[in-house]
Amino acid sequence: MAGGDQAVLGGGRVNTLRVGWLFFKVGVMNELQYRVNFFVQLFQSLIQVGTGLVMLSLVYSHTTELNGWKESELLSLLGVQILLGGFIHTFIQPNMELLMQDVQQGTLDYALTKPEDAQILISVRQVRIWQVVEVISGLVLLIVGLTGVQSSIGAVDALAFTFALGIGGVLVYCFWLILTIGAFWVVRMEHVLELFEGIYQTGRWPVGVYPGWLRYSVTFLVPVAFAVTVPAEALTSRLHWPTLVLSVAFAAALFAFTRWFWRFGLRHYSGASA
Amino acid sequence: MSESVVHVSELTKVFKVPEREPGLRAAAKALIRRQTREVHAVEAISFDIEPGEVVGFLGPNGAGKTTTLKMLAGLLYPTSGEARVLGHVPSRREKDYLRRMTMVMGNRNQLQWDIPALDSFELNRAIYRLRRDDYLAMRDELVELLDVGDLVRKPVRNLSLGERMKVEIVGSLLHRPMVLFLDEPTIGLDVTMQKRIRTFVAEYNERHGATVLLTSHYMADVEALCKRVIVIHHGQILFDGALSHLANEFAAYKTIGVLLEDGNVELDGYGEVISRDGDRAILRIPKAETSRVAARLLSEHQVLDLTIEEPPIEDVIEMVFAQSR
Repeated sequence: MAGGDQAVLGGGRVNTLRVGWLFFKVGVMNELQYRVNFFVQLFQSLIQVGTGLVMLSLVYSHTTELNGWKESELLSLLGVQILLGGFIHTFIQPNMELLMQDVQQGTLDYALTKPEDAQILISVRQVRIWQVVEVISGLVLLIVGLTGVQSSIGAVDALAFTFALGIGGVLVYCFWLILTIGAFWVVRMEHVLELFEGIYQTGRWPVGVYPGWLRYSVTFLVPVAFAVTVPAEALTSRLHWPTLVLSVAFAAALFAFTRWFWRFGLRHYSGASA
Repeated sequence: MSESVVHVSELTKVFKVPEREPGLRAAAKALIRRQTREVHAVEAISFDIEPGEVVGFLGPNGAGKTTTLKMLAGLLYPTSGEARVLGHVPSRREKDYLRRMTMVMGNRNQLQWDIPALDSFELNRAIYRLRRDDYLAMRDELVELLDVGDLVRKPVRNLSLGERMKVEIVGSLLHRPMVLFLDEPTIGLDVTMQKRIRTFVAEYNERHGATVLLTSHYMADVEALCKRVIVIHHGQILFDGALSHLANEFAAYKTIGVLLEDGNVELDGYGEVISRDGDRAILRIPKAETSRVAARLLSEHQVLDLTIEEPPIEDVIEMVFAQSR
């Protein structure tokens, strides 16, 4: 045991991971007390998947292709969108909501007096584990969709997909955090976050179907296209390598900006007075 | 270079707060052009605190106590001036600094609501990178000192306010901080619980030689714990010194308590009678005249007992603020 503790004392990164893991465990413990949430979430996911399927079948009753995407391919895209949405709702959104609440009520103080990277702390404090149902239903849709896709998926495609999905996760995290940091000045930010939820729904369709101005805004302004369309492109052999490189570069730049913006925002944190 | 644990020099914090007239029209106008006003929460204050000192930070609401504490804890960036704690500039929030201090706020909680405090303690252990044996030793010591035995195993939401505060304190001190910023740690607690926490702070200070800066509205806290007080009002320091000197400096009067043989004696001629209960009376006498009045009372009446006292600390503080207006 002592040896393990020494390692913990030494390696900063290792410890950060450990802190993240512990928060995850605590979050799960918290959630397990509210089992009814599981059923609520299950119901919500069923409705979400159901409406998605109805819309798809409606569209494809009139056409066999949408912007070059066949029905089964679009089913995979819907799967990716729901899967990533589930990830957002499980890990990102609860933390951002907590951060916003903390800035409003001045309770961020405790997170800031801890000797750990504050950005990491505020990003791992909560987890809504029941939302994993959404991740699973997205995954099921994705698999069902892929079985309908004629060409088989190679290892490279699968790898590119996983990678692109990871990048998508980073992009969405950065975007949310940037919006939430706005709370340091604006204090009330809930509506902006609802706006994100609305825009995220555009990810159900390949980004190519949208007119130019909207395409650009959902690519660079709100990175839904990078987050959803790019991974789905990887699976359906549509991905051009430059797109992947671009999304990596974009994610890295956005992450660096987010980090700077977080520190900048902290300087403006005035805390609600006691 | 001074040896002080806390060094504050010309420390200033100015907030910009939005301001507008009441009413819908003003609200609409504020949408387009936000008027702000500068509030000088803390204005060029300076003080030093030596290792192991317990200092009371006194002042009415909005005096700037919490703002100062938050600047010292690294939560707020000072507008100007200098602050150093344990040799660190707090606003840089260096981990070496954060690991050696703690902030406890009586009206906030940091423990996870739905799970037992023990689980939250484990989180703190990871964050502060405490060795298991150090952690366990300190945890058990704190649990014993604060007498929270089984409480740490109950979900925090099931604890009473006082119990929660004690458990919060355990969580905040697991890493053996050398500097404690306590902001109203006893707020809302009953008298017994206040006493318990007070005794605990004194014991922690003695055992670990920690430096404590404490704000409280309960004078009993301050009297029991702090030899030195800093009185702050409108962001400025009005008094910094021994608690016992505060009355000397600011109290314009003393109180004389007398027990008379004859309960019907007229006392109005001696000074202001604050209370009278038959043969017992308490008089308020201007400071310069106390000995003369006491002598007169003793020579002119049959006095069974006579005491001369400083006014209660609450009254002194009130006088300090009254004089600064």
